Amino acid sequence: MAVGESQLGSDTESAVDEGDVEARVGWRYTLAQIKQDTTARWGLYVVAFVITVATYAIVDSNLSLLTFGRLPDYAFAQALPIFDHPTRIPPPGEGTQHMPPYFPLAEQSWNPLPAGGTIEHPLGTDHTGRDYFTRIVYGTQVSVFVGIVSTFIGLSIGTIIGAVAGYYGGKTDDILMRVVEMIYSIPPLILIIVFTVFVGGTSIWYAVIGVGITFVPIFARIIRSRVLSIREMDYIEAARASGVKDRNIIMRHVVPNSFAPVLVYATLQIGVTILVVAGLSFLGYGAQPPTPDWGQMLNISHGYMHSNLWLSIWPGLAIMITIMGFNLLGDGLQDALDPRIDD
Amino acid sequence: MKLLKYTIYRLLQAIPVLIGISVITFLLANLGPGDPVSLMLQGQEHSEELVRAIEQRYGLDRPLHERYITYMSGLLEGDLGQSIYYQRPVSALILDRLGPTLLLVLSAYAFALVTAIPLGVVAANRRNEPTDHASRVAALFGVSTPSFWIGIVLILIFAVKLGWLPSSGLYYPWRPPSSYPGINGHLELYYETARHLLLPMIALGTLQMATIMRVERTQMIESLQGEYVKLARAYGVPERTILRKHAFQVAQLPIITIVGANLSTAIGGAVLTETVFNINGMGQLFIEAIQQNDYQLVMGITMMLGFLFVVGVIITDISYAYVDPRVTYGERD
Repeated sequence: MAVGESQLGSDTESAVDEGDVEARVGWRYTLAQIKQDTTARWGLYVVAFVITVATYAIVDSNLSLLTFGRLPDYAFAQALPIFDHPTRIPPPGEGTQHMPPYFPLAEQSWNPLPAGGTIEHPLGTDHTGRDYFTRIVYGTQVSVFVGIVSTFIGLSIGTIIGAVAGYYGGKTDDILMRVVEMIYSIPPLILIIVFTVFVGGTSIWYAVIGVGITFVPIFARIIRSRVLSIREMDYIEAARASGVKDRNIIMRHVVPNSFAPVLVYATLQIGVTILVVAGLSFLGYGAQPPTPDWGQMLNISHGYMHSNLWLSIWPGLAIMITIMGFNLLGDGLQDALDPRIDD
Repeated sequence: MKLLKYTIYRLLQAIPVLIGISVITFLLANLGPGDPVSLMLQGQEHSEELVRAIEQRYGLDRPLHERYITYMSGLLEGDLGQSIYYQRPVSALILDRLGPTLLLVLSAYAFALVTAIPLGVVAANRRNEPTDHASRVAALFGVSTPSFWIGIVLILIFAVKLGWLPSSGLYYPWRPPSSYPGINGHLELYYETARHLLLPMIALGTLQMATIMRVERTQMIESLQGEYVKLARAYGVPERTILRKHAFQVAQLPIITIVGANLSTAIGGAVLTETVFNINGMGQLFIEAIQQNDYQLVMGITMMLGFLFVVGVIITDISYAYVDPRVTYGERD
């Protein structure tokens, strides 16, 4: 199912509901399908690349391999920016040449270098003279982290709500799904901004939690519709008859067996998350400066459109490629798992 | 009669959802650690009396549930409260800004539907041919690219580099032409509106286009494999008639649902698009309200947008039921 194709209409949920799917949802089968499916394979390559870049920027925070030591040491931060970003202050006299990627220096703005201007700054520098290329690389960390963590939050809460609602049915189901529908009815971006500003305070953490919460309805609906069909299976009946507790049935049998289609949505949802958080940061309610976040970089470069248009191009391209990777992977997984489409 | 019943059923179903939205919005705006008074007084010297006075003026000294009931009873009369920053009724402010946003969202949908449906049909008809692959790649780009960045790129190309189209603002076609300097007559005004609307419309509509196209393609492929299509073929009905009549009509039903469900993405996208193109709509009003900590206004806008979404979904659901004779009313599975 496509990304924006949200699940309000219950008729979109039946795609993977047929009973004969059981044999086709195993993990080994999924992996085999990914290997065969071109779309999924390319998605996997892109996602692997993006995650490698993100991890690499943590392991080698000076990016020495990528920059061939072309930038002096003080031009880099030391730790994962989301947790902490200590800044190395440039030695006196040299500070104007290379600004650290996290250097919180908004006043000292000059005309940014054009892209490809120098060997030292292949993508130029931003308005404060920070190397754009290293900021784009560090931005990968923020996006991947935010995408995965938010999706995980939405997935965990959504799974619990969906499983409980689907398993117990009746009143519990009615109430839970109504609440879910209420959350779903407020446009996500609006809900997240209200949440971050009024409850949390603008910070990437509250944005992550807020995005996670807005995704609860989507996962709850998918899990619920799967659980509804699994609930009737013989092995659940058997477990219930032999006196296994409800909680154990849900966690050991129901949830694991409904998980394969959820994985597809989770993959697609990571892409959506990155999209939403980029929008949030663009508006100024996601990652805060000096964190090198792509959306926030676009926010700043918006003011420099006429002097250097490339500053507005690179972060957008980075966002697009990353999201495309997750979408390709998700689409590929879906094709692999959906028995209805036969090529 | 059944349809009427279904319509009433759906409307009744919306009531708890709307109440829920109001509760969520109210709690978010009032329960947060940043209480409205200190948000209002941010950075200013203030005495205890001033705080007291403000609390009394906005009724903040009363318990939460009382405030909620007051708010809700006002809401039923169409009163969304008073904006703290603008010192005007929230409903009047919203009404002022609703036009541009509706114009933007509706034109984006029009753009999406007009482009996506033919593309989807062609792609399904030429499945696994180059046309199909090309349109699938286009759809992939569409769902993977942030709308605001599409807007930025469009501005860079068509406004900054080529200078063909304006990069910001919007001319409202419902205002008299004389209110704009240099505009003579309605025709010229509509032309200016179209010129200003073109780029934001594409920026906001691309995601919708891509999503609708994907669904259209899948649905068409499925309906082309249907028994009735096989039967029509066996009877020797020309392939073009099959495509246009038999397969096409059935495949359009899910599109209705998608349009409704995607409204919330479109509304969120409108906030971003309005920011990029400097359009004074609801999105901009929302951002202003947030920046000014005008919690009354924020609540009003959030309620309004939630309401728009719920109404949109109900309209699509009901029209779906009117169009599709197979829909069972009440519980659909």
